[in-house]
This record gives sequence, structure tokens and C-alpha cells, in this order.
Amino acid sequence: MSKRKDNTIRFSFNLRDYPLEAVYGAAYVFIDQAYLFLESNDGKKIKVFLKGKKKLNSNKLKELEGEFLNELLNSTVRIKLAKNNKKIREYVISQALLSAIGEEEVSQDSDKEEIKYEDDPLGIAVPWEEKYGKK
Amino acid sequence: MTLKFDKKIYKLKAIKLAIQAYQELADFNLSQEKKYIQVELKNIDQDVKDIIKDEFCNYVLSQIR
Repeated sequence: MSKRKDNTIRFSFNLRDYPLEAVYGAAYVFIDQAYLFLESNDGKKIKVFLKGKKKLNSNKLKELEGEFLNELLNSTVRIKLAKNNKKIREYVISQALLSAIGEEEVSQDSDKEEIKYEDDPLGIAVPWEEKYGKK
Repeated sequence: MTLKFDKKIYKLKAIKLAIQAYQELADFNLSQEKKYIQVELKNIDQDVKDIIKDEFCNYVLSQIR
């Protein structure tokens, strides 16, 4: 249930459904278009005060509330996914780093038969005319 | 003008950063109660008198990490 007054819409939701980090994330998105104030009475519910920076009618305020709740959901999903994928993300990064170390070792080995740029094995330094002849 | 920030939501560090950013526009007095961090604003710059409260609250939110 929301209340609208003085270009402000007030609504609340349960903190059990959304983590506090998600509330911060959603609030941050709305900082450009509205003034936000958060309050918690008992630590279980969060009361949000959204005040339009421009004059907004009742419908627009209701719209703003809906958009905020959508963003809150979006933020919650992102946080939950990040938490769930933490291990696999760390695994992928560690594998990437390990393979990079492996490549370094290989390149250190190949340093023994180092090819100098003056040798020009790919023939890059050869002028076009010499390589393909004049037209 | 007095603002009361819920300690469960707002972090003291963020409020201090906001005070630092807004110190040119008003005199701030910070105090703590059991549940709230209280910020009192005095001698507010006339040019920003109408919006300083809302802008300050937004700034605090933006500083929460």
C-alpha cells in the first residue's frame, strides 16, 4: 500500500524479500530522477519516500514506485546470481591466471632459441616491390 | 532543520562524507541516538534552502558503499 502527498510517494516492503544491498543499488539508480529517503521501523520493513525532482502527478508517482520496485528486483537477482556464481567465477579466473603463467613458462623456454627482429622470418621488412615486383 | 537517519540503513561514514561535501552550504551538527544518527543544519545558504535537505539525503545514499 502506498501513500501520495506533496509530490512524494511512500511505500514499504519486507527486508526478508530483498537484501539491503539491493535497496542501495535500486536507490542509486533513482538518485537522478527523485529524492529518496529510507526508514526502517523495526528492522524488518523498509519504508521508502520517493519525491519527484520535477512536479509529478499521482499516476507518475505510482509509476515511479513501480519502476523502483522493478529495479529492486533486478538488483536482488544480480546480487543473488553473483553470490551463486562466486565459486565458478573464482575457478575461471584462477584457471585463466594459471594458463597465463603456463604461457610465460613456455615463452621463457623458447627464449633459448630467440629470433631477433633483424632476422625477419616472416619477411615483413621486405619492400612490396621486391616481394611482388613492380606493376 | 534536523534530519534523522536510521542507523540500520545509513552508515555514519557516508553521512560524514556528505557533511564534508556540503559544509560550505550550512553549519552541521552531528549527534547519535540509540537508533538514529541526527544531523542538524543551521545557517543554511538562502540559495539552497529549499532543496538542501533532499539533496543532502540523496548524497548520503550515494556515498554508501
